[in-house]
Amino acid sequence: MADDQRPPDQAVIVDRGYRHYEGERTGRRGAMSAIIKEGFRRVLGFRRKARFKVFPWFLVALALASVVILVSIAWVGSGLDGNETVDDLIPRYAGYFDFISVVALLFAAYAGPQLLVPDRVHGVLNVYFSRPLTVTDYLVAKVAAYATVIYSFWLVPQILLHLGFAALSPDGFFVYMRETTDVLWKVPLAATVYFGLQAALIFLAASFIDRIGAASSAFLAGLLGLNLVAVFFNEATTAPGARWATLVALEQHPRYIRDWIFGRSSEVVIPAQAGFGPEASLAVIIGVVAVSVGLVWRRYRRLA
Amino acid sequence: MIRVIYRIPVGSPVPSPSSAREDFWLVISQASMSGSDPIIRSKSLSKSYGKVRALREVDLDIPSGVTGLIGANGAGKTTLLRILLGLIRPTAGQAEVFGIPVSENPAGLRARIGYMPENKCLPPDQTAADFVTYAAELAGIPSVDARRRASETLFLVGLEEERFRFLGDYSTGMQQRVKLAQSIVHDPELVLLDEPASGLDPSGREGMLRLISRFRDYGINVLFSSHILDDIERTCDWVVMLNEGRLVHSEPLSNAVAGNRIYVEVFGDPQPLIHELSDRGVTTGLDGSVINLSGLGDDPFRLLQDALVRSGSSVRKMGTGLSRLEDVLESAARSDRG
Repeated sequence: MADDQRPPDQAVIVDRGYRHYEGERTGRRGAMSAIIKEGFRRVLGFRRKARFKVFPWFLVALALASVVILVSIAWVGSGLDGNETVDDLIPRYAGYFDFISVVALLFAAYAGPQLLVPDRVHGVLNVYFSRPLTVTDYLVAKVAAYATVIYSFWLVPQILLHLGFAALSPDGFFVYMRETTDVLWKVPLAATVYFGLQAALIFLAASFIDRIGAASSAFLAGLLGLNLVAVFFNEATTAPGARWATLVALEQHPRYIRDWIFGRSSEVVIPAQAGFGPEASLAVIIGVVAVSVGLVWRRYRRLA
Repeated sequence: MIRVIYRIPVGSPVPSPSSAREDFWLVISQASMSGSDPIIRSKSLSKSYGKVRALREVDLDIPSGVTGLIGANGAGKTTLLRILLGLIRPTAGQAEVFGIPVSENPAGLRARIGYMPENKCLPPDQTAADFVTYAAELAGIPSVDARRRASETLFLVGLEEERFRFLGDYSTGMQQRVKLAQSIVHDPELVLLDEPASGLDPSGREGMLRLISRFRDYGINVLFSSHILDDIERTCDWVVMLNEGRLVHSEPLSNAVAGNRIYVEVFGDPQPLIHELSDRGVTTGLDGSVINLSGLGDDPFRLLQDALVRSGSSVRKMGTGLSRLEDVLESAARSDRG
């Protein structure tokens, strides 16, 4: 065989040149869905070094473990006398939001800065905005990515709980499902209220603070600090305007509205103690979201 | 064009072109680079940042091919690139790319343009393969195609072996090549490169310039900003010079560096020769001990020979040289100042 006609198994391609792309181009829609997918992967640490997976998956494991524990308690309790007492102790739906609130808050504080800070600090915004994307597209896609992970975090355990309770129901699985159809809209609606406030605040922090840990801490410290301020104005002073100052307890507003959605009483919520109705909490959340959207958009408009 | 080249083992005879098998060559497409319409055009383009005027009334026509954009730091190069991408709006005037006003549909135009920023733009905790795939997806290429394109593009820039390493572990040269790969992964018709060779060592720079030169063969138009004049001279067909926001030149590189000059260095005092040359109407300039001459007429060496004989000067060194871009730019800066 001549040397210039070597069999393929002895050949190595050293230059493939350049090939033009003639396939489909999905435009802005495709670009935005790429940001959502990448955001989901980034928060959960997929395709990143192992250390980036530890914290989010620890929190996910806690959330799922809570479901297993609650369903197990319900299962054990269903075989005991006085089963109603055990049943009352198990947090369901609205109560589960409180039961998991610390873990969920930590997850929210972790996820937001992961989505925004690295793009800015590492200059990746230069790549985003050289593509067919606008600032609004970018931010909407990031919010959608955040919504995907946060809703998954809230709703997957709730769905598992719902199925677990249905399976343990003495009336049977399908009867329980039929009798609790209202939770199918109440739980997502309550999750939306939590998501709205948390997303607004964490995006605000992550847009202006260039360190992931610092942005997360600012978010958590802000919520906690404002709660303490509200407690002070509610209990320790009768100064004029003190009642209105209790509305700074931002963390309390989603709880108040959640109780409103589920028709529960809300005596322990600070705005309720100060005499405000849930409408005031809704107005505060809408106001916070509006201000945050404006500030974040303006910040990124300047960065683009 | 796809070229499949077989590596020939050491010691084997190299096949002649006539013996190359036809099935090794597969022509997919070749974009025309000879269009007569300018791909970039600006009319009275101005941009101010407060009191700072970054661009002043720039009228520009850039044809297809590889174009160098040169100017000192602060000349307005990056501002021009960002206006062409539609990222910032001009204060006055208009810019067009592919005959479309940038202000009309900037996002749509960006789908046809690639951009390699000067500053860092790589996430250290992603692999090159993942990042370039993502860059393709951001340009609207579906996932499966994006991964294939990323692999091909990283092969093209010479990073096929290292593509699964995290970008934070890359050297500066490798990072520059990833930046270049992300700028062409979506097969743009025009790529804007902002100081692509900055921060590279000589061999890295050489490799980068070689890659950029190859874009011409791939049918990708290039607008390549640099303040390193040598890079522009070696790579570009057309050159655009900016100085303090003003357009100095926009012309073929061959025009920009045209115009023979003669230099002569003599033993001893150069003044008698300068005097003789001035008497003959020759314009002279003394640069150290070297006399630069222009306006020598049709027979410069006869004229110079006479002047040398008259002045009694002995030649130490003499020759011709093309005026370099550096000279043109310096001359433009001088005329701007005064």
